[in-house]
Amino acid sequence: MVSQAVLTEVAATAIEESADTRKRRRGRKQRTERGGKTSIGMFLCIAPFLVLMFLFSYFPLYGWVYSLYDYKPALGLEGSEFVGLQWFQMLVSSPTQMAQIGQVLLNTLAISFLGIATSVLPLAFAVFLNEIRAKWFRNSVQTLTTLPNFISWVLVYMIAFSLFSSSGLVNNVLTDWGLISTPIKFLDTDQNVWLAMTLWSIWKGLGWGAIIYLAAISGIDQSLYESAEIDGAGRFQKMWYITVPQLMPTYLVLLLLSIANLLNNGMEQYYVFQNAFNKQYIQVLDLYVYNIGMTGNSLSMATAIGMLKSVISVILLFSVNWISKRVRGTSIV
Amino acid sequence: MTAIAQHQARRSGGDIVFAIVNYAVFGLLVVICAYPFYYLIINSISANDISALGDVRLWPIGFHLSNYEQVFQLKGLPLAAVVSVGRTVIGTVATVLASAFLGFMFTQERMWARKFWYRFTIITMYFSAGLIPVFIIMKNLGLTNNFWVYVLPWIVQPFNIILVKTFVESMPKELQEAAELDGANIMQIFFRVYLPNMTPILATIAIFSAVAQWNSFQDTLIYITDQSLYTLQYLLYMFINQASSLAAAAQDAGGNLGAIAAAATSQTPTSIRMTVSVIVVLPIIFIYPLFQRFFVKGIMLGAVKG
Amino acid sequence: MKLNRKVALVATAMLTAGALVSCSAGTAEPEKTASGSFPEAWDETITIDVFDGLANYMGIQQGWFAKLVKDKFNMELNIIAPNVAGGGDTLYNTRVSAGDLGDLIITDKGQKLDELIEGGLVADVSQYYPAMTSAAEYDKAVEKLNEGKDGVYAFPTSVSSLLPTEPSEGLNPTFGPYVRWDLYKELGYPEIGTLEDLLPILKDMQELEPKAENGKPVYGFSLFKDWDGNMMVTGKQPTTFYGYDEIGFVLAKADGSDYQGILDSDGEYIRTMRLYYEANQLGLVDPESTTQNYDTLYSKFQNGQVLFSWWPWLGQTAFNTEDNMAAGKGFEIAPLEDMTVFSYGAEAYGGKQVFAIGSKAEDPERIAAFVDWLYSAEGAYANSAQTQGSAGPQGLTWDLNDAGEPELTEFGTKVFLQGGGNVPEEWGGGDYADGVSALNAPSVLPVSVDPATGYPYSYTFWPSYQEATANALTDDWSAHMGDATNTMDYLESNDKLLVAPGASYTAPADSSEIETLRNQVKDVVVQYSWQMVFAENDAQFDSLLKTLQETASGLGYDKVLEVDMTNAKDQNAQREAIAAEFTE
Repeated sequence: MVSQAVLTEVAATAIEESADTRKRRRGRKQRTERGGKTSIGMFLCIAPFLVLMFLFSYFPLYGWVYSLYDYKPALGLEGSEFVGLQWFQMLVSSPTQMAQIGQVLLNTLAISFLGIATSVLPLAFAVFLNEIRAKWFRNSVQTLTTLPNFISWVLVYMIAFSLFSSSGLVNNVLTDWGLISTPIKFLDTDQNVWLAMTLWSIWKGLGWGAIIYLAAISGIDQSLYESAEIDGAGRFQKMWYITVPQLMPTYLVLLLLSIANLLNNGMEQYYVFQNAFNKQYIQVLDLYVYNIGMTGNSLSMATAIGMLKSVISVILLFSVNWISKRVRGTSIV
Repeated sequence: MTAIAQHQARRSGGDIVFAIVNYAVFGLLVVICAYPFYYLIINSISANDISALGDVRLWPIGFHLSNYEQVFQLKGLPLAAVVSVGRTVIGTVATVLASAFLGFMFTQERMWARKFWYRFTIITMYFSAGLIPVFIIMKNLGLTNNFWVYVLPWIVQPFNIILVKTFVESMPKELQEAAELDGANIMQIFFRVYLPNMTPILATIAIFSAVAQWNSFQDTLIYITDQSLYTLQYLLYMFINQASSLAAAAQDAGGNLGAIAAAATSQTPTSIRMTVSVIVVLPIIFIYPLFQRFFVKGIMLGAVKG
Repeated sequence: MKLNRKVALVATAMLTAGALVSCSAGTAEPEKTASGSFPEAWDETITIDVFDGLANYMGIQQGWFAKLVKDKFNMELNIIAPNVAGGGDTLYNTRVSAGDLGDLIITDKGQKLDELIEGGLVADVSQYYPAMTSAAEYDKAVEKLNEGKDGVYAFPTSVSSLLPTEPSEGLNPTFGPYVRWDLYKELGYPEIGTLEDLLPILKDMQELEPKAENGKPVYGFSLFKDWDGNMMVTGKQPTTFYGYDEIGFVLAKADGSDYQGILDSDGEYIRTMRLYYEANQLGLVDPESTTQNYDTLYSKFQNGQVLFSWWPWLGQTAFNTEDNMAAGKGFEIAPLEDMTVFSYGAEAYGGKQVFAIGSKAEDPERIAAFVDWLYSAEGAYANSAQTQGSAGPQGLTWDLNDAGEPELTEFGTKVFLQGGGNVPEEWGGGDYADGVSALNAPSVLPVSVDPATGYPYSYTFWPSYQEATANALTDDWSAHMGDATNTMDYLESNDKLLVAPGASYTAPADSSEIETLRNQVKDVVVQYSWQMVFAENDAQFDSLLKTLQETASGLGYDKVLEVDMTNAKDQNAQREAIAAEFTE
């Protein structure tokens, strides 16, 4: 078997090389700072795109002013009543309300954290899929596992209903085999709601999420594997010391982006699965906002909530980035 | 080489077990992922009322193709298909090129205020000003009822840019240095040196982008009322909605359900929804494998070392 | 230096912002000279955008209705339907903020209309009103609608020749306790004293037929969740059997004799919760109720898996097929001794929706002529809410027979009784159902009487039709119900109908504060209602009820209830006023 020392050497070389590059880059940066070689030309190359972004993303932010009004589109901004911070105050107006929002936030964070904890699965998927030799099998797996991504949540619920309702396939089979006497309530129960939702999310996103990692794997320098092979590295060692570290930058960036998305779980998935029995645990923030009809008739309230979520997301993004800089030495963005 | 060959020949028992387990796990995953789609297919060709009860699970019951007939007879379908294909192709090409270019440019330390503009770009993923302001801007730019509303807002995609940037950073720096020594300017370096070697990530972005373009209907909903610009997805979405706006109407009715009584009797069956889903997904399944050949291990990177 | 440049950049951006934002106002069309009557024909073909909050179809109007409109007005209708387009109010909001909602607008009266007028999105057509002879028939309603608005901006829908104290629904009321009549007959027509007596009877019916033809179990009640609004929808329906209807969180009796909050422990809503709870204890409630939607429920009705229906347009439409009825099977209203079914009186001043002409319309005169036509007899026959029974164009689906009475033609019979038919080319071609007016907004109620024939516009009232459609089921039911010809007839003759006079009352829009409170409370009401129905035992039911009342109270239920009570009383005052006004 290969000695640990050899393996660490291979890994070390890889790390050294990237460290080298980083040093060189930093060196180059220092030179630029001193020598004033910043390129405006490069900036001008990307300027048109920045203008586009400004037009479509930043400029519309003037719309945030709607949150200070009781905005009615028909009357326009001039005709709408100015209400100041009324909407923001409404969010924290009564104890029962705060308790509700508290539960909603708990649901949102729980599901987000479960999502983050399982975010390593697409990476693992890609790494292990890479070990499959038969090309036809690999390609089929890749194509077929992305199918769930294309099925809308409404239809996913139809399927879930057919399989897991009280007279659904699963209950029927279990009863036929004599394993249970009364149907198990899969859908209308308040047990394990977060876990169930996470499992559905994984099912839907696993194959699709792995695409990025598969692409990254095909970009890995083959010579790394070859030298490891020569040194007698086995399959798992190659995976752990070469493939995984090479995928780390991508993984960390995606992780950072999902942390910043902590409060944004989306609504559709939870909307179709919700019912009176699981509502307490399934109501995430986006669904709550939709349920209490805030977005329907009150654009201003929706704007206020949107503002708060945006601000929190950006703060999260930069905080985690800063932490990464402290801990790892480099920032992610 | 002999050492390697010998090594490979010595496949231990552990290797075989691993292979079996690996294949089995992926096989199971394939079944879990593909079954629901199979479910949609068999339901779309089964008798609608049986399907609505959720009874069609393993094979079709009451085979019929009238759901598909109904969908294919939708007025304006061919034109919508053309529009969809058009926006997918043009939009994808535009966003792939733009993302690749921007992703590459953001790796250039010499750029003025690089970090600032990069962050400027990234954080746009986390805020949205809401529908109305964006709509007003589109209108004032003349992009409502205009094909380019399908392309322009999609050109700059921060997520894609991040992917490209990460990928480029993992490519050897020597590539750029060598080209610079040869006197190439930044554009040439991008187009001649980096772009051809970014195929895996380009393929990835292309897939993401193409699927997003193909599936999008929200923009049609908001910006387009000219029927000749409807996309396929939107046409199908409207078709599904046609008799199933019931829930919303019922809630609005505030008790007087007589108003929606009529609509309540002509629901679009669930199986039609499923038919639509199948129709929309099938092209993707056929195109997707074509992209898979781009996920080939990079062969050129060894060349730089040599 | 860099900072200054950035500031300059931002400043310029702000200035451009200001400029672009102000670019969106629009001005109304210049006035045209008033005309005494509309032109006979129009030269230019135009396509108008119809923004229709009721439509279930999006796109260009097709078929025979389109041909009628094209022939008369040289006009095509591009229906923009938010229901179909999706996204709730999105389409409305975006179009309004751009200043152009549509050329013809069908939307809610009340605050929505007021805002549109204030924002300049709707045109004042008082100059064309003198030429609108058909609309003038309903002048009173038009006047009332435009009261205090300084001009004519909107036209009413659902007007009719009926008195407001008469039911607007037609042969069948909107609500009623409908049961499987064949099983009820088999049990020997047991007496049903009150609502709760239904339970043992349903249980017996279930024992008679425990499995439907498709092998699935049969249940007394099967509920669904997707229409839940202020409260659990299926929970509210039985309260209508006693003359109550909802207005916010209040249940108001049609004649104003009682008002209840839905959470009152001794109120009708909680009574229904208890009813379902006990039904569930008896095994009468479909366990899939909690997770299924209307689609699935409708299928179950079609397959005979459900024994009770709150609405004729669910049970009857799904199950009363020709074959079933010939075999004597089907849903009919059960003779509940003490019921007084709530009915909506014909709205004297029109329904909730109105027609309005957009301020950016190119040819408002033509649109006004079109709206006018909708009120004429020809328009009333051609345009009505889908499947509400309007007979279609004379000569195509019906005509006068020798006795001078209206009768369905062969084609008409094919279309209405046998499931459909293809319209001849000269009438526009295509399937009849596809050519129906997509406006889905009845200008004139189908139950209104055509002065030319003396019979209602709806063919379901014509004697010729009623004779043709008698069958084993209806005969048996009729015999048992004192020879009543139809459900409405039965209810009226036996004093079991409580008509709420059609006062066209619109509740004032909630203030934003009340609206938010309401939304929170209704969420909780719905959630606990379902849990109560499926409670395991009495103790749990009571404790859930208590928690519901406390939580709702904590979220502001009392405040909202107060507002709703005031509205309910106002509504009743208007109902009384209009009943008095029209009985002079």
